[in-house]
Amino acid sequence: MRIVLGIKWVPNTQAVRFDPKTGTLIREGVPSIVNPHDLDATEFALKLKDKFGGRITAITMAPPAAIMGLQHVIGMGVDDGILASDRAFAGADTLATSYVLAKVIERIGDVDLVVFGQETIDSSTAHIGAQVASWLKLPYVYYVEELVDYDESKKEIVFRRKLEDREEVYKVKLPAVISVAMHSQKPRPVRMSYKIRAKLENPIQVWTNKDMGLDPRCIGLKGSPTIVAGITWTPEVPRKKQVFKGDPKEAVKWLIEKLKEEGVLPF
Amino acid sequence: MDVKNKWDIIIVGAGPAGSAAGYTLAKKGFDVLILERGRQPGYKELFGGRVYAEPLKKIYGNELSGAPIHRWVKKEKLSFVDGNKLVSLEYQSDTSTSFTTYLPQLAKWMADKASEAGALLVEEVTVDRILYKDGKVVGVGSGPDEAYADLVIDAEGVNRLLLEGLGLVEKLKPEQVAIGAKETIKLGEDKINERFGLSKGEGMAWLLMGSITDYIPGGAFVYTNKDSVSIGLVLHLGHAIKEVKEHISQMVEKLRLHPQLRNLWIDGDIMEYGGHLTPEAGPAMMPKKLALNGLLITGDAGGLLLNVGYTIRGVDFAAYTGYLAAEAAIEAHEKGGFTESNLSVYEKKLRDSFVYKDLTRLTGMQDLYSDAKMFKALPKLAVGTASRVFEIGLETPGIWNSFTQARKEAGFGLFSLAWKGYKLMKKM
Repeated sequence: MRIVLGIKWVPNTQAVRFDPKTGTLIREGVPSIVNPHDLDATEFALKLKDKFGGRITAITMAPPAAIMGLQHVIGMGVDDGILASDRAFAGADTLATSYVLAKVIERIGDVDLVVFGQETIDSSTAHIGAQVASWLKLPYVYYVEELVDYDESKKEIVFRRKLEDREEVYKVKLPAVISVAMHSQKPRPVRMSYKIRAKLENPIQVWTNKDMGLDPRCIGLKGSPTIVAGITWTPEVPRKKQVFKGDPKEAVKWLIEKLKEEGVLPF
Repeated sequence: MDVKNKWDIIIVGAGPAGSAAGYTLAKKGFDVLILERGRQPGYKELFGGRVYAEPLKKIYGNELSGAPIHRWVKKEKLSFVDGNKLVSLEYQSDTSTSFTTYLPQLAKWMADKASEAGALLVEEVTVDRILYKDGKVVGVGSGPDEAYADLVIDAEGVNRLLLEGLGLVEKLKPEQVAIGAKETIKLGEDKINERFGLSKGEGMAWLLMGSITDYIPGGAFVYTNKDSVSIGLVLHLGHAIKEVKEHISQMVEKLRLHPQLRNLWIDGDIMEYGGHLTPEAGPAMMPKKLALNGLLITGDAGGLLLNVGYTIRGVDFAAYTGYLAAEAAIEAHEKGGFTESNLSVYEKKLRDSFVYKDLTRLTGMQDLYSDAKMFKALPKLAVGTASRVFEIGLETPGIWNSFTQARKEAGFGLFSLAWKGYKLMKKM
């Protein structure tokens, strides 16, 4: 099976803090990681490859530092990587990003399945899978948890997905695009031999817009109709650090009184 | 897929020891693989904040000027703390032998130097075993994979699971290590210069002992980085597990909020916090051999770190022992191979170096330092004397009287104090 895996190199949002004075994110010194939900997608793709053979190419659109992210998934067992990287791609919203990714997938050619994570931890839009499928005019199944069946001769694949109140099973004609439900897989660790290969053989290509020749109106800032009008945040409430010592029954009374005073309890 | 799996030398760990060894060996033309567990070199490491420069100059020469040095330490301060009072001794100089930095930055720089010299650095690989066959070490294993080499250099750090696996060392005992915890508080370059009385590029190293660690053997530290300060504690683990009353992170918070200290950084932002073990026992935790057939042991894994209270030397010792291991490997190779007898020149080099001399000479002092009583009595003596001398009501107190009262309160006999002082001075 010829698989393309989309990943994103994101700042570790657990380490990102908000500067209430300037209203911006403090990214300084924050290490980047592969979007954790993309590791579910990676594991899902690797399982398909384990079972049916084939080749997985990881793709991403990002500045050059994202090569480390491609190396990480190659370390897990992905065969090679393509980094779409060009100043002309900068400032892209999800529409312009998905356009470039769709064009990368077209350029790879003969792809059976495109696999994405459910969403990213730094923006949580869950747009990319759906938009790439739209650009490529391919069927799209999201929240996929499990492979049910694959008929190689008919190029038909069956997935199970889980929603809040039900499970659904979809049979799809390949080629298709899927996104894998977050936390649905147990991503395998990096292997030494794969990681050494990633470093020695450099199986990562960098594609610039010179290589791709994309319409400048569809990429980067120009191709992005989304405008971030503003960001607000929930201000941190300092703890009052009041401790009641003594009998638990008294403590409950004291606590209820306190909560009434604070207006937390309305009665 | 067939991937290369044989190198001249494999180094486990891209910390200061591993990277210094890798740099020195790759420069000589050896085919070197460095395996690092973290996503980047330095991600698994932690230190207080200061590195002594001279050993690094011996390894890197003039290239050291390109290292991520934050400030050269020109102010040293030692404080005895008892409750909300403290007595300090300060040394100021226009010369400096040590600098502050962030360890991840320095470790990255050192690893890059090794890569530039030709070593292959591979991150995110956890080596889980050293391969031993027919009386010699032949490589390393990681999960389902193995990689082979004529020589393995173990620079795995303080938690030496690989050496345990080989049966070369026993599990660490609490008495052999200290636990460190620290916070980095961003303050801005100008505020640091103003509040600590420093000029641009000048730094301060400050060690504190006494009630600041709840009198548990160990100490607190404050280091000035470029635009932040690192504050934290080191507690002797053997004592801490028995005597500690609260979580070490709460103790760091108390240090941050100490009435005599907090104004230095009260308006800063805590950027990060962390904790780590550090070897404490010196020669007592060194493996019986540091050179075996096909194996050399360096840095923290070898127990090669010095902590004598007023001075802690880890990064520079680790780097220098990595460098000596590389030198020994080069000599052994010239003699015909990485056999134990050829590699034993490493132990000789160590014994002849400042590392081993410092470690053995100052070991007795570590005994004194882990003498729990001293950590209570000394601060009480210093603060007790000073508070009697300086806090004046009507009568001006005499110094000797104040000292005698404080000494009795601290529980020192005059003779035992003199004897302990003498022993300490002699060791130092």
